[in-house]
Amino acid sequence: MKPLRLLALFIIPMGLIIAAVPQNKTKPYKLTAEQLLGEVNTRTQYLTPDAVADMIIKKDPTLRLIDVRSQDEFEKFNLQGAINIPVTDLLSEKYADILNQDGKMNVFYSNGTLTANEAWMVTRQLGYNNNFVLEGGLNYWFDAILNPNKPASTSPDEEFAKYDFRKSAGAALGGGSAIQPSQDQSTVSAKPAITAGIKKKKAAGGC
Amino acid sequence: MAKSIEIKKTKYLNPYIGGVLLGIVLLAANFVSGRGLGASGAIKSAIVTVETTIAPVSSESSGFVKEFRQSHAGNPMKTWLVFEMLGVLVGGFLSGAFAGRLKFKVEHSPKITSMKRLFLALGGGVLFGFGSQLGRGCTSGSALSGMAVLSLGGFITMMAIFGTAFALAYFFRKNWI
Amino acid sequence: MGPLSVNELISENTNLFLAFIIGIGFGFVLEQSGFSSSRKLAGVFYGYDTVVLKVFFTAAITAMLGLLFFSLFGWIDLSMVYVNPTYLTSAIVGGIIMGAGFIMGGYCPGTSFCGASIGKLDAFVFIGGLFLGVFIFGIGYPIWDGMYLAKFLGSPKISTTLGLTDGVFAILLIMVALAMFWVAEWAEKKFPREEY
Repeated sequence: MKPLRLLALFIIPMGLIIAAVPQNKTKPYKLTAEQLLGEVNTRTQYLTPDAVADMIIKKDPTLRLIDVRSQDEFEKFNLQGAINIPVTDLLSEKYADILNQDGKMNVFYSNGTLTANEAWMVTRQLGYNNNFVLEGGLNYWFDAILNPNKPASTSPDEEFAKYDFRKSAGAALGGGSAIQPSQDQSTVSAKPAITAGIKKKKAAGGC
Repeated sequence: MAKSIEIKKTKYLNPYIGGVLLGIVLLAANFVSGRGLGASGAIKSAIVTVETTIAPVSSESSGFVKEFRQSHAGNPMKTWLVFEMLGVLVGGFLSGAFAGRLKFKVEHSPKITSMKRLFLALGGGVLFGFGSQLGRGCTSGSALSGMAVLSLGGFITMMAIFGTAFALAYFFRKNWI
Repeated sequence: MGPLSVNELISENTNLFLAFIIGIGFGFVLEQSGFSSSRKLAGVFYGYDTVVLKVFFTAAITAMLGLLFFSLFGWIDLSMVYVNPTYLTSAIVGGIIMGAGFIMGGYCPGTSFCGASIGKLDAFVFIGGLFLGVFIFGIGYPIWDGMYLAKFLGSPKISTTLGLTDGVFAILLIMVALAMFWVAEWAEKKFPREEY
């Protein structure tokens, strides 16, 4: 009988303590403030409109556009194939699998870059990988892709190549007049590689 | 009589102390790898290895192997549970060696023959192997580890295992008492 | 901080090495507690030896309290710990089949390996049966995959399902376990048997 009493003497108080204290629900940040500042300074989160347009046209299966504006704004206008995750619902459980994954490239966009950047910061600090921000937001998207300005005749060749690409991309994505597709797309920035995240390992388990 | 009581006290570890130690091992597994203990998963790894070695094409298309592949990349034998079960064999052997219990024998009630005991063990093994796959884990993987992380499924499986065994105990009493 | 391998504080190979060490601890404690003996294990169902019940629940409670306290101190992120998914149908049916296997064979998979390690021949045969059972499940998978995948409830915690906090559920489980231990010790006195 004695060992049982001894056991009870230990586990009952411990049980009472754990029942009395509030549950620790804080999610520890995966990135320190310094690491995050470092990433912000190097602007690694940005994807240029040209890179995104290129991926849309090529129907890159890894691209996932995420509209972080409100639902109203999303319904009025959105980019082809985008899904809507309003920044106010960013931490909702139902979006966790979309934001924390390592198979796709999530690109946040908003009208400017402010809201998209907010979304990126929060998800990045939670340690999620493969989330990016559309540089310049929708405003710049209109200027650059849908209504590109013809460069001055004195501009270097690259500027013309870029213009041709934008013109054709804009046409393909609904806007502007069609011209011959550009042969030279070397100006399109290389897209960043998708990195394996923490999520995959968590699934390990089972007997 | 007095002598047998004394033997009883010294032969095995006190169950509560054993339980606390086992709990610490389970806690260590969760702390190190974020998962509990297990046993039947190692057998599944071995079966998948054998199947894919003998008949690579037909077995890869089977739902069983596919389901395993989804959660385990790479060599099926290089998994956590396989290494853990190798450790169990070593740990059990060490403990048996310290306690002087190393001996080849068939353990059974004097009322039945060794042969009958072995047939029942085989039958029990088949049922347990099958059930552990259906129930996604055995007593250690699903019930014990599941209970430690408060998994609803772990509690349900635990109750089903012990409830059924209690209900059927009467019919198998001759094998044990 | 924890779990170490999920947070990539240790490498994959270190993780496997630690699995081996943890396995040694697992096997050692099982054998020391008498789980290598099928008659001792089966004793819980006849009341003459309730070591299974005591060890099993003490271990589950110790680990549960440990995890809750580690989480409280911020040493482990419980959201990163694997919680077994709940498939209602297969959990119940699988459990019933396992229960029948338990009373017939006298072992469960973990304890059979433990028994085999000290030379119990019935444990070797039981392990052979396990392989056969898993193999049968594998080849007949299309027949029962419907049942296998039925009634998926996600990975809920029992405390959440009951609408309690983890801590309140823990103290309830402790009280239930202690009551069972008390009954078990009473039963051992009532149905005494020699030690196997």
